[in-house]
Amino acid sequence: MNNTNIIGVYEDEDVLLKAIDKLQENHIKIADVYSPIPIHGVFEKLKLTTRLPYATFIYGAIGTISVFAFLYWTSVVSYPLKFGGKPLNTLSFIIIMFVLTIFVGTLFTFLTYFIREKMYPGKKVTLPVPRTTNDQFAILIEKDQNMSDLEVKKLNELLKKTGAVEIKESE
Amino acid sequence: MEKQLKVGEGFKIIGFVLIAFGLFTVLTGLLTGDHVRTWANLLLNNYYFMSVTIGATFWLAMQAITQSGWSAAYVRIPQAMSNYLIVSFILWAFMFFGLHDLYHWTHHDAVMHDPILLHKEPYLNIPFFTIRYVLFFALWIFLTQRIKKLSLEEDKIGGLTNFNKIEFTSKVYIFVLAITFSLFSIDWLMSLDPHWYSTIYAVKKFVMAFYHGIVVITAIAIILNKLGYLTILTKTHMGDFARYIFALSIIWGYIWLSQYILIWYANIPEETVYYVPRIMEEYKTYFYLELIVNWAFPFLFLMWNRVAKNAWALLFVAVVLMAGQWIELYMSIMPDTADTHNITYIEVGTFLGYFALFAMVIAWSLARIPLVAKNHPYLIESIEHH
Repeated sequence: MNNTNIIGVYEDEDVLLKAIDKLQENHIKIADVYSPIPIHGVFEKLKLTTRLPYATFIYGAIGTISVFAFLYWTSVVSYPLKFGGKPLNTLSFIIIMFVLTIFVGTLFTFLTYFIREKMYPGKKVTLPVPRTTNDQFAILIEKDQNMSDLEVKKLNELLKKTGAVEIKESE
Repeated sequence: MEKQLKVGEGFKIIGFVLIAFGLFTVLTGLLTGDHVRTWANLLLNNYYFMSVTIGATFWLAMQAITQSGWSAAYVRIPQAMSNYLIVSFILWAFMFFGLHDLYHWTHHDAVMHDPILLHKEPYLNIPFFTIRYVLFFALWIFLTQRIKKLSLEEDKIGGLTNFNKIEFTSKVYIFVLAITFSLFSIDWLMSLDPHWYSTIYAVKKFVMAFYHGIVVITAIAIILNKLGYLTILTKTHMGDFARYIFALSIIWGYIWLSQYILIWYANIPEETVYYVPRIMEEYKTYFYLELIVNWAFPFLFLMWNRVAKNAWALLFVAVVLMAGQWIELYMSIMPDTADTHNITYIEVGTFLGYFALFAMVIAWSLARIPLVAKNHPYLIESIEHH
């Protein structure tokens, strides 16, 4: 399949945000935005959705419940040992439950993210613009197969007008 | 740019009626023999609105020292709230008539026969207590009014001079608050039970003040926006306010647990005496309600991003959390003073009276100053905030 993309490279986040607005006014579908820093507003502008927070919530809840179940089983059911006059089902569970909720939530969110993004340690970088990990921002537009040369040229001009410092095509 | 706030006639009438109702309940309470209970309620409401104001002005100082951009359009709300401190100073003065009804350590005979109170006597005595009250309020009023004055001057002359002066004054104010507000909470709330002490008590009360201060600022911003003023309020601003409330709900829960779990775990009678009436007897409902309303509810509700950016949902959270602060203070004050565990006309009436007074003071103060600090260096960043 012929999957080339047109990429506009920007050097300032405010210019990038205005460029997104401009492109969307012209009904151009933006496939992705690359940025070295999280920018507020890009996510909403591109109307992206994610289910990752819900997954995190579920992992956290599973963490709380399973840690409580483990603590309850060890210190109440399996080996009930009274110390310091405290009840078996004790309040001090809360500290470990709190810590492990965060741990389980974070760890499994990372794992989910890695699996969904098909990432693994030692994977080769596949960035269209390598400097997007440093000081540049990039807008990626999918090039349609039946896009005429004139349309591509118009798109390039539009990107240049919005302040792109570099425009390139890549796979 | 933003139009000037006008206080409506209906608002004034409702306000005066509620204040009259509050005054009526307080007088009835005092005349029908419910002395202790009425004084306890007055203390509760005095502390409630004073701490909300302190929390809001602390937020203002925080924005100044961190040079936050997003909040620059909202600095006038806490600045207007700071006027309430002057009213609060007068209202607290009446509390001195009720000292004997509330504070065990003010009784000379009791102190003389009590080694612990005798030991604390150099700090807990009425003259020094009064000096502290006057000094603390004088410092708060002076510093908050100075910040307000500098900000209003900035409107006229512009430039960075006033901005830098506000930043410096805010640093002083935060430093002063750390000491004075802690001691003020210890003086007026913790000394209700002079035998008991907790080293985290003042921290908890401070977090409560900060938490509910933000809640009130958010509520005022949204109400002004709904009334057609402060049109610059966007979803991202509300999201940031909601983030503040969300984060502080966790901090509040953390401090609550820090106090409770250490006392519970150490199980020393002189410390647990505080929680015995609160968790084992009639106050049980309030005990759990305090935790659910102030921590569990905002934590779970504001987790949802869509809710955190919805004006009506945030207003709902604000109303619930204002009730939450009332419950927290009720739990701090009532078991040591009136020992009543039901809510009657005295509780409702006093709160409504104070609430109306607080709302009117803020409305009038806001009406007297421009709603937006037009020469604030970060104003454009705040409006364009995304």
